[in-house]
Amino acid sequence: MASPPVDFIQPKPAAVMVVGGGIGGMRSALDLADSGLKVYLIEQTPCLGGRVAQLGYMFPQHDCVLCRGTPDHGYGCTRPSISPAYIQNNQHPNIEVLTSTSVLDIEGQAGDFTISLRGEPRYVDMNRCINCGYCAEVCPVELPDSYQQGMTMHKAAYKVAARAIPDAYVIERGPYCEDCGKCVEICPTGAIDLNEKPRLHSIEVGAIILALGFQAYDPTEMEELGYRRYPNVLHAMDYERLASRSGPTEGIILRPSDQRKPNSIAWLQCIGSRDRRNTYCSSICCMYTTKEAILAKQRLGKEVDCTVFIMDERTFNKEYNAYFEKAQEQHHIQYIRCRVSQIREDPQSSNLILHYAHPDGYQQEQTFEMVVLATGLQPPQSAHHFTQLLDLELNRYGFCQTDKFTPLHTSHSGVFVCGAFSSPKEIVETIIDASGAAGEVMRLLNDRLNTFIYSREWPFLSMDGLPPERDVSLEAPRVGVFTCNCGGSLSRFIDINNLMEQASRWPAVVAVEQMDYACFPEGLTRLRNQIEEQGLNRVVIVGCSNRTHDSLFQRSIRQAGLNPYLMELVNLREQCTRVHVWQEAQANRKALELTRIAVGRSAKSQAVHKKKYICQPRALIVGGGLSGMTAALAIADSGYEVHIVERSHQLGGNLQDMYYVAEGYNPRRLGRDLINRVRAHQNITALTHTEVVGHQGHVGFYQTEVETRRPGSEAQRFSIEHGVTIIATGGREAQDHPWLGLTQVITQRDLEAMVIHNPEKIAALEDVVMIQCVRPYGAPDYCSRVCCTNTIKNAIRLKLFNPNCRVSVLYKNIITYGFREEYYTKARELGVVFIRYTDEELPKIETSGGRVTVMVRDQALNRQLALPADVVPLSMSILPAEGIGELAEIFNVPLSSEGFFKEAQIKLRPMDFMRDGFFLAGMAHYPKFIEESISHALAAAGRALTILSQRDSLFLGGVVAVVDPEKCVGCLTCTRTCPFSIPQVIQLEGRSGVGNLGGAAYIDEALCQGCGTCTGECPANAIQLVNYTDEQIMLREIGGLGAWLPWDSERLSVVGSQ
Amino acid sequence: MNVQKPNGFEPEITAFYCIYCGYMAADTAGALSIQYPANVKFVRLPCTGKTDARYLLEAFEQGADGVYLVACPIGNCHHARGNERGLARVEHTKAILDEIGLGGERLGMYFMSGSQGQAFAMAAQEMTERIRALGPNPLKNEGGRIEDEGRRMKDEIEEDGFRGRR
Repeated sequence: MASPPVDFIQPKPAAVMVVGGGIGGMRSALDLADSGLKVYLIEQTPCLGGRVAQLGYMFPQHDCVLCRGTPDHGYGCTRPSISPAYIQNNQHPNIEVLTSTSVLDIEGQAGDFTISLRGEPRYVDMNRCINCGYCAEVCPVELPDSYQQGMTMHKAAYKVAARAIPDAYVIERGPYCEDCGKCVEICPTGAIDLNEKPRLHSIEVGAIILALGFQAYDPTEMEELGYRRYPNVLHAMDYERLASRSGPTEGIILRPSDQRKPNSIAWLQCIGSRDRRNTYCSSICCMYTTKEAILAKQRLGKEVDCTVFIMDERTFNKEYNAYFEKAQEQHHIQYIRCRVSQIREDPQSSNLILHYAHPDGYQQEQTFEMVVLATGLQPPQSAHHFTQLLDLELNRYGFCQTDKFTPLHTSHSGVFVCGAFSSPKEIVETIIDASGAAGEVMRLLNDRLNTFIYSREWPFLSMDGLPPERDVSLEAPRVGVFTCNCGGSLSRFIDINNLMEQASRWPAVVAVEQMDYACFPEGLTRLRNQIEEQGLNRVVIVGCSNRTHDSLFQRSIRQAGLNPYLMELVNLREQCTRVHVWQEAQANRKALELTRIAVGRSAKSQAVHKKKYICQPRALIVGGGLSGMTAALAIADSGYEVHIVERSHQLGGNLQDMYYVAEGYNPRRLGRDLINRVRAHQNITALTHTEVVGHQGHVGFYQTEVETRRPGSEAQRFSIEHGVTIIATGGREAQDHPWLGLTQVITQRDLEAMVIHNPEKIAALEDVVMIQCVRPYGAPDYCSRVCCTNTIKNAIRLKLFNPNCRVSVLYKNIITYGFREEYYTKARELGVVFIRYTDEELPKIETSGGRVTVMVRDQALNRQLALPADVVPLSMSILPAEGIGELAEIFNVPLSSEGFFKEAQIKLRPMDFMRDGFFLAGMAHYPKFIEESISHALAAAGRALTILSQRDSLFLGGVVAVVDPEKCVGCLTCTRTCPFSIPQVIQLEGRSGVGNLGGAAYIDEALCQGCGTCTGECPANAIQLVNYTDEQIMLREIGGLGAWLPWDSERLSVVGSQ
Repeated sequence: MNVQKPNGFEPEITAFYCIYCGYMAADTAGALSIQYPANVKFVRLPCTGKTDARYLLEAFEQGADGVYLVACPIGNCHHARGNERGLARVEHTKAILDEIGLGGERLGMYFMSGSQGQAFAMAAQEMTERIRALGPNPLKNEGGRIEDEGRRMKDEIEEDGFRGRR
């Protein structure tokens, strides 16, 4: 027999390193892990979360909803992470979180990097820390709390935040720590080791994602503002903590000087942005200031005077315009357009006196009780370190240099960037980048996808290797009650012996046992052994938090052959012993009561199973423009089939009519290149002249009917079976305005074509008046985002052709966010005149003798101007593609108030639809620049790949609402009640409703989100939520919902044993 | 058992919380050891949208002196607007309680974010004090159990399938 060939090639690492554990890094890591790659998530600080962990609220909805970052349900709050997959006991098997770790060295190249890491000692064993907090109680050293921006103190032994991930304490050692060893002595689990040494190790990965984040600008160098000299001048991050519910005051905003509620607050915009030192725009400050001001109004009362000193209102994303208007009209927040030159303090009252030049032209002094500096974003501190390690190129501002057409690539191949490290950006853009960078990595490592297979079959994430499940549905309940004494903290004043004694007498309870640490390996082994030895089929554990420990015990009992839903965890630690220290008697009674209802519920519990589906290894992409093609290539390169459906006669979309961009690249070349690659790709079928006409199915198995109508031939209909869908239908420039009837009035796109095709005409122009923000009659008012940069690009061109040409731009707000500010500056340097107009006084166009004059009131001079014009280019609104409404109906996906497609969650899931398996890319979401569309398309592709790569192990359903068709009267209440429009009343085989009505409610288990809202409203009581049935909640036999055990123990035992 | 019945009336309250912000707020109170009355027992729901007027009424029928719900802040619900649905049902149930003479003020609903441990404790405090002032649930008889008569009638009604309660 011939010996197998010797493999000289080293195995290629199916792993990725993500640097930065903020929201971007977490998102990338999760997508990569979902696609079957191993991820090392490196974070410098002791916990994940980054900046977002410090923010209480996100604009524009003032929500947290980090729990909606992924489609997972049922684990509860995930903050500060975006997914339950980061909760320690449920951590994604493919993610290794390395906190307090820095990168020492990187060697190798794309596909094969070797990285040396240094992990700083935490001095606390994360697996043995039970969060009792004794170490912090005894620690004598106090340090300023950087999580709370130094406004409070923490001990040297501390937990960064109540909900830090990893969920464990850390000891910050430095010269201030005297190594007194008190923490070591008191730790009940022996988790603290002060002799822990730094850990040096190396990992091998195929690609790197840098999610380094940003550094908030320190305004100390702007001495005129008095930051750090006057206590009531706050950094925006300080204010965020003050306004946050987890902040030092639980969200009550108090002045630092006297802890009093301020009656007037001023915000100063563009601190550390758009000035001589930092010439770029930080993109996010206008919005976060508006959020902060609204919060002040909500918390402190309407009478509080909130004034914002602003330059331009840069509200350039979905719903932001409406939010900004609400701030002005509903909350009466005042915006003054100027920069404040100086702040002085009144030493008596600690009030602040602001000097500024009022926009109406006079000097003004105004007193405020508190001032917040809306500080900008700076490149992250670690940028230079990585520049040296990787020879990365930075741009002139110190952010990562990226190319317009490859916005997520760094200058080093195999190294990608996401989030604020590439340019100042907010959460939505960071999330898009993060998923996009993950998509790029999947493409690069396409031969290694799915190396590490995991499963979502259970409520916890698992690798293979679980024993077969025991069917207990026909057995009488045999409940085992286990208490975890949590190192004695539970038994501090809860009489555990009595609790066990009582429990042993309750019906169905066959075993009771006390354990010291149920969550330690020894405890879990004991638990499993007991299940087998005692033949238990239900388990109740009396211990700590469901949030952190449910999945641990669920996994454990599953390993012993029981369905995870047959376990109930009673949280006595957080819900009883810690919070009722002074009420021993009542606390004991409550402990008994909580255990009693858990036992009662457990006896009513039944196994819950998700259904297994097979995923069609094929994607359907609607729209063959830039986004559609980019997404298609990313998916096809990773080895899956793609069908592109394009309505028009050709691929390319808007790229066909774009000739140049502000950065100087050629978009048509990009278009050509993409079309060539798409047409040549063996995995892509591109159908032009084709439209979607019908659709059905659920994630993993969709059937879409399409119709091809080539001119001159008969329409053909056929059906495509696919696992995921990406909608990339794009946007278009509006062409509809009465002004466009005049020959001199054209759109910016026409002007661009003229620049290319008739340069001699352009060179002859003498007066050009450009008007921004022109929208067709009836179109909703939103910022189209790209027009200002586009206009400035064209204005600069005109000036280059003919420096004497008088170019005026009439604008409301100049939206040149990020580094685009430099074009604005350049245009002004070249002599382009910018004139602001307002909604109250719109510009007018007058014609006389074939000449056109634009009339506008100049706000700065307060005078009416008449500007003659040879040509008047308009920046028309960008509208969603035609027919978007019909498409939304066919796919049953919603539209936003602006008329674009509506994503699952505005901040955290901008590339997902609420319908699983549906993704969104490019201008179908909102107007976008080319680089933003590319990132968005890659993000959608990356997310689609996480589903496609699950192949035959797509698990759906589980805790979902189930309709009893025998009871359904078809009243449609559920269809109206469901927050996600999932129930339908339809006629199916054997489902005809009460008295053969001819139809009954149907809730697709693959779609149901499991909230139970329909079950509470169904008048016929025909819907039950699995694992939350009426029986399980009402517990009538034992009076679990309302009755309490009587005080005297004799009666108590009688009641209990009935 | 060292548990002695205290002198006077100790309210027995049932609180429903959703497993998102509601549960998290309880956890935060625990993590920060914020003290509140132990007169409340908790029942978890996947979302306060799951609240059923029957659950609220059943709790009173079983003898609870007060009932309240802890939900995510409005607009911040994990299930988009489940908590608003929950609120609507609480309002509806309050009207029923008023009508039958139990009093709608025995039922409450609180909205808070997961980090508001203090607010969670305040809710328990407020409800306990309110119920203490109102006195025991008049439906509750001496032994803390309810007559079986009424129960049987209710079961019969429910077996008909359609409850026609709204």
